[in-house]
Amino acid sequence: MNPLPLVGQRVPRVNDAAPLHGTGRYVDDIELPHMLHAAIIRSPVAHGHLTGFASAPPPGVTVLGPDELAAHIHGQLPVLWTLGDQRQHETPVVDEHLRYVGQPIGVVVAQSRYLAEDAAEMVELTIEDLEPVVEMAHALEPDAPALYPDLGGNLLATFDAGDTAEHTEAVFAAADRVIATTLRIGRVHGLSIEARGIVAVPEPGGRLHIHTSTQTAHAVRDAVCEVLGFAQSDVRVITPDVGGGFGLKDHLYEDELMVAIAALDLGQPVKWIEDRFESLMTTTHARDEIHDVEVAFDDDGTLKGMRVKARRNVGARLAVFGGGPLFTGLGMAPGPYKWEAVRCVGQLVATNTMSTGAYRGFGQTQAAFIRERAVDLVAEELGHDPVELRAQNMIRADELPYQMRTMIQFDNGDYEAALRRASALISEAADPPEDGRVRGIGYCSYVQMAGIGPSTLNEFIGLSIGGFESAAVRVEPDGSVRVATGVSPHGQGLETTIPQLVADELGVELDTIQLIHGDTDTTPYSAYGTAASRSLAVGGGATVVATRRLAEKIKTIAAEMLEASPADIELGQGQATVAGTNIGVSIADVARRAWQGFRLPEGIEPGLTASHSYDPVSATFSYATHACRVAVDTGTGEVTVEDYVVVHDCGTIVNPMIVEGQIHGGVAQGLGAALMEEVMYDEQGQPQSSTMLDYHVPVSASLPDIRIEHIEIPSPYTPGGMKGMGEGGTNGAFGAVVNAVCAALPDVDWTNVTTPLSPQRVWEAIHAQS
Amino acid sequence: MTKRSVHLTVNGVDHNLDIEPRVLLSDALRHDVGLTGTHVGCEQGACGACTVIVDGRAQRSCLVLAVQADDAHIETIEGVATQGLDHAVQTSMHEQHGLQCGFCTPGIVMSLVAAHRAGVDVETAKDTVLDGHLCRCTGYVNIRAAIDAAWSTAGGDT
Repeated sequence: MNPLPLVGQRVPRVNDAAPLHGTGRYVDDIELPHMLHAAIIRSPVAHGHLTGFASAPPPGVTVLGPDELAAHIHGQLPVLWTLGDQRQHETPVVDEHLRYVGQPIGVVVAQSRYLAEDAAEMVELTIEDLEPVVEMAHALEPDAPALYPDLGGNLLATFDAGDTAEHTEAVFAAADRVIATTLRIGRVHGLSIEARGIVAVPEPGGRLHIHTSTQTAHAVRDAVCEVLGFAQSDVRVITPDVGGGFGLKDHLYEDELMVAIAALDLGQPVKWIEDRFESLMTTTHARDEIHDVEVAFDDDGTLKGMRVKARRNVGARLAVFGGGPLFTGLGMAPGPYKWEAVRCVGQLVATNTMSTGAYRGFGQTQAAFIRERAVDLVAEELGHDPVELRAQNMIRADELPYQMRTMIQFDNGDYEAALRRASALISEAADPPEDGRVRGIGYCSYVQMAGIGPSTLNEFIGLSIGGFESAAVRVEPDGSVRVATGVSPHGQGLETTIPQLVADELGVELDTIQLIHGDTDTTPYSAYGTAASRSLAVGGGATVVATRRLAEKIKTIAAEMLEASPADIELGQGQATVAGTNIGVSIADVARRAWQGFRLPEGIEPGLTASHSYDPVSATFSYATHACRVAVDTGTGEVTVEDYVVVHDCGTIVNPMIVEGQIHGGVAQGLGAALMEEVMYDEQGQPQSSTMLDYHVPVSASLPDIRIEHIEIPSPYTPGGMKGMGEGGTNGAFGAVVNAVCAALPDVDWTNVTTPLSPQRVWEAIHAQS
Repeated sequence: MTKRSVHLTVNGVDHNLDIEPRVLLSDALRHDVGLTGTHVGCEQGACGACTVIVDGRAQRSCLVLAVQADDAHIETIEGVATQGLDHAVQTSMHEQHGLQCGFCTPGIVMSLVAAHRAGVDVETAKDTVLDGHLCRCTGYVNIRAAIDAAWSTAGGDT
């Protein structure tokens, strides 16, 4: 029997057996009778007009081109976030205006993927070439070719956050000094090891079933219905096991819709599995931003003002959350420091490249990087210790809750404690060997907005989805427990952690609890699924409230059975017991009584279920300081991260093992973006990083072991105390690693930085000085 | 396209397949033999997710045509646990939280099982063997912990 409570324990994951034995069920593992296989026809050019689409498919092969597809399409894909003067609010599914290499044009269906790909090669496209725009600077030129001529240019939106220009200027004018830096943040790819995929199945009665590798089943369903004109009750979206998401699988893609159309057209199940070449070209990219940052400060090291002008290359169309990542990043730019003025202006620029959208961190990685890089520049300018300068300016524990200049209010915590402890830990490391390489230590302190809503805030900031999550908990007649949730785990371990919460509330064993997720027919509505570090903070909060309600009902029925008062009933070890006695009844007996409906207390409904939709009163704010030591080979520019420390607070820790695993993975992705990951295009908009041999992600040798210490200050808001943390590792690592490289090479001019700091860039920076 | 007959022994079971010469071993295992535990991550030989053991050696099944494996003895993730007993690598991956989404896991397990059997030392397993695999969830830290644990375990079939 599990010793209670389970929350806080390193409970091994309950769902490891399937991947370890090969019995998982990912989307490409689905086999159905009469299932056909699809390949997608894609634009070979970055910019052009499709003027001809000709195919002569062999027997048994079906080709659907733009005209056939258009006959099924009743709407466009929505952009769910509107910012400033944003001019694009939806994007076409098929369009003869080709705007990026890989844009889906049509779909081929055959008996096998091999045959479908053969037939796709035989389709003849006639394309009138247009001049491509790849760089933002080119796209913003007055006479640049327009991706959307009807929208009046390639600048799709301008918005701001924080203080007025006048107030900010006054603060800058009064400050002793100002530093300025331009930070170019490279384009990256989230690169889940499982690419995308879909099986679309026409069902009797006009229903459509979709099995797809997504983070967000309900959002996929809603988009399918928006475009194809189905009633939402007629479409069922099921997520099988999902091999990583990281934000990439947060929406329905055009090519996936084409597969659904093919299935409906043919009346047969159709499967499409994205290959890696396609994935690197046409699954959402991220970042690709240029930030001009100025910081005003006094000679004593007091930070006074920050001004950011940021542009984001959004690619050929706005992704489902539009400029959300840049807006979120700018909103969080002030970080854990006190400022007198912060003003941020963001711009979204269309180019003939793949769309950039959500990726782990959702803009907050960039926010931490630009601020922490600028803070290091201030410390360098003044000759101050970077840790002391940070501590001097941090919001103190007794000043929380604290409202930033961008109006966001932090909840609680001790930011300086995390900084001090991280600094102590990284300083404890053994002295490096004398091997001719140079060393540097870099820091990144951040606060992460996690656990978003509330829904009213989402509406206020122009985001058209609610910020709540729901849970439905049911004790079956035999006492086993089903928890249906709107969140949608794909590696985060919620199959273990949500049942840990439930086990403690109901006093039952973990292995009696099953999490039901990822099926729009059987789970509560969720606009997000699993994304934005909010599954345990918001979805877990909903589960805790629902389960507490159910516990009360169990106690009420048990009290009737035991002739006691409900207030005297305690739940534990699968029993409802009268406190201080051995008199009890099993929860299974209570459940059987409830589902029989026999002799229930006055006013108690039969059955044993409870549900709750939890709309948080505030977002939650986890925080950390990351510190790392790097070694740089000045002869090659190669950077090695030798030691890595994270001190963080994500509120109540349900499972430290899983939290640490999330930090490890997040750090790897932040480190990858800092040192090696870069999606590249040539000047014609042709992808230059379309294999995993060209797009480098970290391997084991890229990462040292990571030393983690937890600070645990429960959220004042979330039932259960969780703050959310899935993206935190990424948010801290990107800035910490870049700062460490800069610190290792103090003679290099790091006024401006372009990421990733690949060996070539580091070598060039070293040699630019001499 | 003309089909060829191919004989594979997979996890000790004979399979006679009639397939096109261009079919990858990964696809033959998944879609013709029906063992979908072998995952395909890139079909470029880079990620290692599709690794299986072919005649005792770990190989990427996306870089082998099924016809090239004619008469080979192949082990896949489905065959690693024997008589209900997990290999030390499987046990350690679970206990050390060496997997998250699980997609790259079968390939990593197959490479490590082959290395464990071959008597590869623990540092080589953590460096050279694991560096042949891409994992996007774990940052590899807990996979290395799992290797340490598996290599220090008397169990398994070394």
